[in-house]
Amino acid sequence: MKTNGGAAMIKLQRRSFLAGTAGLTLFSALPRIVLADGHDTLKVAIAGETGDLDLLQNVSTLSSYTVVFDGLIHYGAGGALEPGLATAWTVAEDGLSISFDLREGVLFSDGTPFDADAAEVNLKRWMGVPDFGWIGISAAFDSIVKDAPNKITVKLTRPVAAALLELTIVRPVRFLSPKAIGADGTQTAPIGTGPWIVESHDSTKTVLVRNDAYWGEKPSFSRMELLVVPDELARANGLRAGDLDVIGGDWVAPLSPRRASALKGDGMTVIAEPGTATTILGYSPKSPMMQDKAVRDAIFIGVDRAAMAAVLFEGYADATVNIFPTTVPTAGARIPVPTRDLAAAQAALTAGGWTGDASGFTKDGAPLLIDFLVSDEAFPGSRRIAEMIQGQLTEVGFQVNISSVDTATIHDRRPKFEYDLTFFATYGAPYDPHGSLGASFVTAADTGPDGKIYVSDDLDKVVLAALDAGGDAREPAMQAVYDWISSNTAACPLVVSQRIWAVNPRVAGFGLPTTDYDLPFKGITLS
Amino acid sequence: MKSWPWAILTPALIFVLIGIFAPLLMTHDPTKQDYSAILSPSSWSHWLGTDYLGRDMYSRIIGGARTSLVAMVVVLLAALIIGVVIGSFAGYIGGRTELVLISIIDIALALPSLIIALALIGVFSGEAWSWMSDYWKMIIALTLAWWANYARMSRAVVVAELQQPYIEAARVMGASHMWIFTRHILPHVLGLVVVYASADAGALVLAIATLSFLGLGVAPPTPEWGQMLVDGMSYIEDNPALVIIPGLALTAVVVSFNLLGEAFALQKVPKAVRGGLLRRKKSARAGEETARAATEAKA
Repeated sequence: MKTNGGAAMIKLQRRSFLAGTAGLTLFSALPRIVLADGHDTLKVAIAGETGDLDLLQNVSTLSSYTVVFDGLIHYGAGGALEPGLATAWTVAEDGLSISFDLREGVLFSDGTPFDADAAEVNLKRWMGVPDFGWIGISAAFDSIVKDAPNKITVKLTRPVAAALLELTIVRPVRFLSPKAIGADGTQTAPIGTGPWIVESHDSTKTVLVRNDAYWGEKPSFSRMELLVVPDELARANGLRAGDLDVIGGDWVAPLSPRRASALKGDGMTVIAEPGTATTILGYSPKSPMMQDKAVRDAIFIGVDRAAMAAVLFEGYADATVNIFPTTVPTAGARIPVPTRDLAAAQAALTAGGWTGDASGFTKDGAPLLIDFLVSDEAFPGSRRIAEMIQGQLTEVGFQVNISSVDTATIHDRRPKFEYDLTFFATYGAPYDPHGSLGASFVTAADTGPDGKIYVSDDLDKVVLAALDAGGDAREPAMQAVYDWISSNTAACPLVVSQRIWAVNPRVAGFGLPTTDYDLPFKGITLS
Repeated sequence: MKSWPWAILTPALIFVLIGIFAPLLMTHDPTKQDYSAILSPSSWSHWLGTDYLGRDMYSRIIGGARTSLVAMVVVLLAALIIGVVIGSFAGYIGGRTELVLISIIDIALALPSLIIALALIGVFSGEAWSWMSDYWKMIIALTLAWWANYARMSRAVVVAELQQPYIEAARVMGASHMWIFTRHILPHVLGLVVVYASADAGALVLAIATLSFLGLGVAPPTPEWGQMLVDGMSYIEDNPALVIIPGLALTAVVVSFNLLGEAFALQKVPKAVRGGLLRRKKSARAGEETARAATEAKA
């Protein structure tokens, strides 16, 4: 019995040993299997399809370019200029030429070297091309000189004060492999020098793989999936379920304050920092009603910015009366945010010749009636803000009709100034302040469907002078613009909404990307 | 009155009564914002709580009933009148005119009503129409999208009735077209379209809410259920009442009108209508017999 029992024990031990070994082998292999199955992949929500990332077409999602393509100069915190594909740059004293020392040893992801030839081919695709006249350095382009295999000089016909800042924007300034440019000059594939390479893209997702030959700090994980989730609630639920790792960013997959609060309560990490774009109530410069400064003044003082930031943005916004927040360069001196003052608003109307009270004002028999053009589709959440403003202005004595329209209609009516009031937002970093000033406050600027916040002949002169001013003259010239807008009550800034992102607990080391046009990946580790 | 199915009729009747007496039933101004009471739960001062601007939800639901009722009644009446006039005219006049009109009706019916309404609202959103409020744009768009069914039905009834011998008899007796149409044909047309309209009311309330849900209907701050639904969507996670309450109200009204329409169609409810129709049929038959007698006497 003993012997038999001993043999049985040995048999059992051998069986157990084999089973245990197999189990251990499987267990040790499991992390690799799991990693291969997505645990080395950062899953980021994007609100819309990435597209083909053509650098010259205004079609693809802006944020996706920044991880695939590099520019000569990168936009750093607070608008600092940081070396990108150029390690150094020199602006001539007369401002008519800018020399760039190109980074050596950089390869496009198809193996093509980045050098002066590649830089010249790329820059000539947009510099001096009429379609890109909205970029100052393109409009003033004269020629490119290749000084050395890794040094170029861009010559200009006139100085462009914001030239270096313009080279930090998303497109078309970034660099494409010359081999990815077809014979007809069009882009054939999204091949850049950035930290990520496009593996595939379709209408549901874009898969990026790490560029192991990247010249800068490489990501700690090997894949990034950009998953198209248009609905905000679905994105939030995806984050909770672990189907997504990161959501947020105004230009990536916007996250509303309300949803952010809910996610915070569910154990997700919510990161919010001061934003770079201002929400502005624009007065139509063509509307007879809005040409009356008393009306503009009454609206300016009659809206409650603090309540707006607290109630609708749930604290994820900062009330402001400045056109730009301090998070963008040369944003100007701060103006204290006035407390809402009904009596002052009514007094402004009375001083302007209007008669009446909270039940309604009239002038020459005409009621104080304004048309408030709103598109919740084009500017999510704007109808609720409009409702709040409507309620506040009604208490002053205004009659406010909210015209709620679709995107196509607002894109049609806004450029024609067919409204009394409507919402605008500044572009934010890295486009501001020169981007919004040059586009939204200059009569001749072609802003297409975006329209303009305010234009007048006098303002044109002040803005154009500021955009041309360089060096020490730039800051006072910019301040002159802000002073003009403020003293003429040409716009009604409301709030600067914060940049909100949320990540699930398996994401560590998350830091907000420099701008909301960038995708987050730097410093992130996945558990 | 005992034969009326009150269980079916009552919900629709309550909706109509709430709409009519809304100003008396509201406890607060439905547009009044109160930032100190945003997203409050139910309480004695706010029976159904408050919304994201501190507005009283109960008063907004009652106000929304009135908004929907007025829009529904106006659109139904206008669509019914337009449809009956065009359809009856086409059926009565016949020939090429009928062909043209029936083609227009068919084109209108080929597209879903809501799509037509959306397209028309798109047309009305231009600056040229800015003098008109969004509410009236919606009413006109829905009317123009809704009339074709009534026209189609009216024409069919008119064509069928014109084949009847009593019409021939009336003509022989020298009755005018207007007399024949108003006395002998219109009652039949109305009998059918009114029944159809009762079932259509629910669909119309839903269409009004849908347009507002899409931001193309009633303009703020007027309370409207569809708009309340879409505004509440942002708060669905922690304040689902903002969506559930208008959603329930909308569902109740749509279901009650659908049941009512069905009951009418099955002729369970409309004893009065049926009685009216019978009376009209009897009088028509009497006219027919008189005409026949007159014809025979002449012969």
